[in-house]
Amino acid sequence: MNLTDLTYLLPELILLLAATAVFLLDLLWLKRPGAEGKRALLPYVALVGLGLAALGLIPSLGGVRQVATMLAADPFAVFFKALAIIGVAVVILTAIPYLRGRTPYRGEFYALLLAVTLAVCLAVGATNLVLIYLGMEFLSITSYVLVGFLRHDCKSGEAALKYFLYGATASAVMLYGMSLLYGATGTTDLGGIAAAFASAPQGAGAGLAWLGTPAIILLLAGFGFKASLVPFHQWAPDTYEGAPTPVTAFLSTVSKATGFAVLIRVFMVVLAAMQYQWTALLIAVSIVTMTLGNLTALRQTNIKRLLAYSSIAQAGYILIGVAAVWMSGATFTGLNGVLIYLFAYLFTNVGAFAVVTAVESATGATEVKDYAGLVTRSPWLAGLLFVFLISLAGIPPTGGFMGKFFVFGAAVQQRLWVLVAIAAVNSVIAAFYYLNVVRYMFFTPAEEGAEPIGVAWPLRGALLVTAVLTLLLGLAPGPLITWATHSVQLLALR
Amino acid sequence: MPEGYLPILVMLLVTGAFATIALVVSAVLGPKRSNPAKDEAYESGILPFGDARRRFPVQFYVIAVLFILFDVEVILMYPWAVSARKLGVFGLIEMAIFLGILLVGFVYAWKNDAFKWQ
Repeated sequence: MNLTDLTYLLPELILLLAATAVFLLDLLWLKRPGAEGKRALLPYVALVGLGLAALGLIPSLGGVRQVATMLAADPFAVFFKALAIIGVAVVILTAIPYLRGRTPYRGEFYALLLAVTLAVCLAVGATNLVLIYLGMEFLSITSYVLVGFLRHDCKSGEAALKYFLYGATASAVMLYGMSLLYGATGTTDLGGIAAAFASAPQGAGAGLAWLGTPAIILLLAGFGFKASLVPFHQWAPDTYEGAPTPVTAFLSTVSKATGFAVLIRVFMVVLAAMQYQWTALLIAVSIVTMTLGNLTALRQTNIKRLLAYSSIAQAGYILIGVAAVWMSGATFTGLNGVLIYLFAYLFTNVGAFAVVTAVESATGATEVKDYAGLVTRSPWLAGLLFVFLISLAGIPPTGGFMGKFFVFGAAVQQRLWVLVAIAAVNSVIAAFYYLNVVRYMFFTPAEEGAEPIGVAWPLRGALLVTAVLTLLLGLAPGPLITWATHSVQLLALR
Repeated sequence: MPEGYLPILVMLLVTGAFATIALVVSAVLGPKRSNPAKDEAYESGILPFGDARRRFPVQFYVIAVLFILFDVEVILMYPWAVSARKLGVFGLIEMAIFLGILLVGFVYAWKNDAFKWQ
């Protein structure tokens, strides 16, 4: 540990300081008469903190480095840290109008969002099973609090409790899987475990395969819970519906991306010798996830639940990319599709939830039928939601199309024909329920006396950023493709 | 193959057998003389009253969470105190940062009336 190492930790340190600062400022301005206006500045303090943390990523750019024995500052970690910082920044913008009048503890909310970003940064950079577990736990526990943040809203409490019960079980199972790996190899360092697996005798019944296979399954429970893969998805619909909508946007994008990042790091680095086993498992999980997610989404009447099941289905598509990774020795291809998909999906889904937030803030409605005639009430919101929905459906010229193109392309290269065929059928099913919302918005008349919907300024900013990027990633995806392809460098894989 | 784990299997069997035998033997041979006092729930010597399944103030919950937090904090300080000389200034600064972060949370909870019985 020296000072150069500290520069690689700048994002984490800045986020920690920013979270503490928001807590203290909130305290300072609490109960002071006339300070309500000052407390309204807190989300902007948090945004400045996130901006500084993004700048703090600069020293970590362009190199694969080990930091303080347990963390990696590799391009892969930097990609996901940047994704988390951008995602949370947009989520904060959507939260500003949403929280007004819903809870008096707004400062705490932004401080917790900064803390949760810190947790993501730790989890995606960790190269030690213990730190991975701590990072995921930090992320989970902070998420439980955020989900249950609306204390006087029964649904929010129910959502938090369900999320907590599933999360506690999933993390216990994951910990058991980690203990198997530790027991088999005597180390918790990812590189060390990988070396032990590589040097063990190969073949059925020989070496460490008999312990590695159960470890893969048990670890997948923990990672799959975060990424909401079937069969670890049951919490998602209820939690997404009950949680404050900005938190739902966070859970379905940044938190999901973290699950994928940790899954990729552990499976690629540690269990590279057992790729045959985990690829087969991931293909099966991917098929079940997208099919179940899409079929259940067909019957949803609540927009938040609809997007929850859609988000489960999307996790299935993303998993195709992980299953289609082709590895030989230290080089592997196909993974950049996963990163492109996750990045495009971040803006698309946060944008979709930003529209939901706007409608919910103005009218309190979250049913699909309440979107009838949205085009007459707010043409902008309807138009933007249309963009986000076609991006979710994977129709060009949107970022969602680029993500699907790369992920399905990797599967085609690997000749995973069955997987590709099922994914294609699923995309058609998905288009049906996405376009159903579009039908309500544009072709069903609004109720009598429905008023126009006003949108607060911070939310307009969030909508602008997400919509522009959703379209930009579809029209000019070059920089993202280059960045994602360069980001597929993991510590200990070289 | 898992030959090295044979002792663990033996251990598992022995503990299982021991537990089963101990329970069965005491159930078969033990005297069974029950009276009302014996059938009461054991409450560490205090006479039990009422039903255990009743509502209690959610405030207990906040107090319990805060208690666990600071309990664990103190537990972490013990091993640090033992090796404080070895860790030197580095350890001292680390502990100061750790306590500082916790202190922020403590002050926040305090000022938000977490310790006031509402």
